[in-house]
Amino acid sequence: MPTVSEPASVDEAAAVLAEASARGASVSIGREDGDVVLSTRSLGRMLEHEAGDLTATVEAGIRLSKLNARLAQAGQMLALDPPGDPTVGACVAANLTGPRRHRYGGPRDLVLGATVVLADGTVASAGGKVVKNVAGYDLGKLFCGSHGRLGLLVRLSLRLHPLPAATRTLVATADDLDEVYRLTQLLHFSSLVPSAADVLWEGQGSRLPIMFEGSQRAVADQVDRARELLGGEEGDARVWEESRARQGAARARLSFPPRGLVQTLAGVGEAVIRPAAGSAYVPDPVPEQAEAGALLLAERIRKTFDPQAVLV
Amino acid sequence: MSLAPEVVARVEAALGRGGVISEPEQLRTYECDGLTGRRVVPALVTLPRSTAEVQAVVRICHEHGIPFVARGAGTGLSGGAVPHADGVVISLARMNRIVEIDLESGRVTVEPGVTNLAVTQAVAAHGFYYAPDPSSQQVCTIGGNVAENSGGAHCLKHGFTVTHVTGLEVVLPDGEVVYLGGKGLDNDGIDVMGVFIGSEGTLGIATRMTLRILRLPESVRTLLAGFDSTSQAGAAVSEVISAGILAGAMEIMDRLTLEAAEAAVHPGYPDCGAILIVELDGNAIQVEDDLARVEEICRDGGATTTRIAADDVERALFWKGRKAAFAAMGRVSHDYYVQDGVVPRTKLHEVLDRIGELEREYGLRVGNVFHAGDGNLHPLVLYDRRNDGEPQKAKELAEAILEACMDVGGSLTGEHGIGTDKACRMPLMFSETDLAVMQRLRQAFDPESLCNPGKIFPTPRLCGEVPGPYRVHPLELAGLADRF
Repeated sequence: MPTVSEPASVDEAAAVLAEASARGASVSIGREDGDVVLSTRSLGRMLEHEAGDLTATVEAGIRLSKLNARLAQAGQMLALDPPGDPTVGACVAANLTGPRRHRYGGPRDLVLGATVVLADGTVASAGGKVVKNVAGYDLGKLFCGSHGRLGLLVRLSLRLHPLPAATRTLVATADDLDEVYRLTQLLHFSSLVPSAADVLWEGQGSRLPIMFEGSQRAVADQVDRARELLGGEEGDARVWEESRARQGAARARLSFPPRGLVQTLAGVGEAVIRPAAGSAYVPDPVPEQAEAGALLLAERIRKTFDPQAVLV
Repeated sequence: MSLAPEVVARVEAALGRGGVISEPEQLRTYECDGLTGRRVVPALVTLPRSTAEVQAVVRICHEHGIPFVARGAGTGLSGGAVPHADGVVISLARMNRIVEIDLESGRVTVEPGVTNLAVTQAVAAHGFYYAPDPSSQQVCTIGGNVAENSGGAHCLKHGFTVTHVTGLEVVLPDGEVVYLGGKGLDNDGIDVMGVFIGSEGTLGIATRMTLRILRLPESVRTLLAGFDSTSQAGAAVSEVISAGILAGAMEIMDRLTLEAAEAAVHPGYPDCGAILIVELDGNAIQVEDDLARVEEICRDGGATTTRIAADDVERALFWKGRKAAFAAMGRVSHDYYVQDGVVPRTKLHEVLDRIGELEREYGLRVGNVFHAGDGNLHPLVLYDRRNDGEPQKAKELAEAILEACMDVGGSLTGEHGIGTDKACRMPLMFSETDLAVMQRLRQAFDPESLCNPGKIFPTPRLCGEVPGPYRVHPLELAGLADRF
């Protein structure tokens, strides 16, 4: 039976990892396959929110919903909207994004600094809490997509955004991939500035929800112009809930050059596509896409951070 | 120092004679970058024309244990491209092709020697641009931008180089070539590319990069506001941010830099204690709404004048003085030292007041021109090297400013990098453990420390035996006290 450990401080987390690695036990973070299952359930506090700086520092175990509820009181948000309600640490470790990555980017673009505990209990910080900083290696970025294999993320400093005054959604439709591509290219070459633009691909009658955020007037203008360009009807938040739910249910993500949308999705019956990012969430598993040399390099990095392979 | 003849012969065989520089006078051209105070003549300079040639040079260096330093246009301000006396400089100047323009994907693939501005020029006619815009964009290269994770005045809204690179081809320090990312934005696995960008040439040499280009905004409006003091202008910046306005750029110049800019390029700035330039871009109506709000905030914040550029010509004039500010300092001072530090935006006026105190304490003038929107200060410490002891005093004053930035939880550098210039200051921001963990990463790439050695990390050789004082990392301050 694995031991479940829920450290309530960075010290405690470091002690758990140091102890486990000393006795040769394996540790898993966010999964249940180690001798010790490490959870950040008790590391979920907001530590600092500087509204005037649009930055916050949090413990990695804080849930997005809780963080964003707190930030909303100051009219701000962490602009990550992946499916479900993951912790901020999970967003970084699993590189989770949602529809609004179109405008705001992913964890890599929003993490300003990180404190991590390595497998041997070493605690280290990198980056900072200011929005602009190029001092030293930015380990927070390295930990994006690390899936708990490089170390435990314990604290994160984050770049925030103001909550928009207004949000509206237009939903265009398309019956085949060529039409999907034609519409997404029209948008790409227009001067419209959407916050999200997804394709809920399911063959005939597929929907293309497009979200605009900003002042009431600007959003109305953009919705009108988008409708002229792409057709469609005004939708609401439910279509984004659906997009996120379908993304969450998907078992794989395809990455492709945006120009290759039609070829990439040919034969795929159902997907949530983010055309500008070149990402498509699909129901069936797909083979590893990374190049062999890059995988070897990643493995070498993992070994220098965790030479005893404590983290599984 | 010179290299063994057989090594030089091997490099010449790989690149041809035209690809190698070994004449002492010619080598001197490469002795420094934009940080002209540090000069080291390299043993050899190579000018590869392809990834395969870069790979060949790196392999030879790796086999013989010879240090190597990649170099773009040499505009860096932190000595990141300072050569190694026993080493090889790998200049990427001849790898300057734009490989592919893929408008449909919104991507441009380039070789490292392409200048920053050339990317925008290549796509501007199609209505696109490359967002990161360091002040040296006419000459600095994309390769250097990737090494430094360069920003620019407009990174406030659109992000730094790291946000705009989607794929990299990298020659690792052992000569292996790896491909990171691609044209898609979401990748699986650890973000090696994310940490490579900004690693100051210490983890390998990027030989090809795929960049994201953005649609040119339909509207760009620029406002210039005059204030009595930089503190007032700084407070207005905080108000704009608090109002939820995402400006494209927010820049402040103080009286001293205004005078210098006026003398040099006559931008016609108002006669006042400080100016704030705010640029807004995007949807025309959004820009109009935000512009009205920004003007109101400036007036409420004590602005004595506000002007809105009527057209592109006037907008260019607003920026002309700002962009010329560094060079214009030559008009008011014999010498100057540019510092680069970052503070939380809410601490701007506090740190500006502290800089004022330091000016009086040291008896030297400091010009303040900075990216106020993201708290990135560029104090210009004025001195005259003909006066005894003044260069040293200027250096000390610049250091004191950096410490003032660190005192409020800031950073040692916002965009110029650590390089050799600030390697010894790293302990002000990071503990020994932090630095040791960063070194672990380096070990994974470059166990022999051949790739741009002597940069970023403090070493006893570089810094003397006594490391600087360690200060608590801002993340620690914010959290529970703990440090191993």
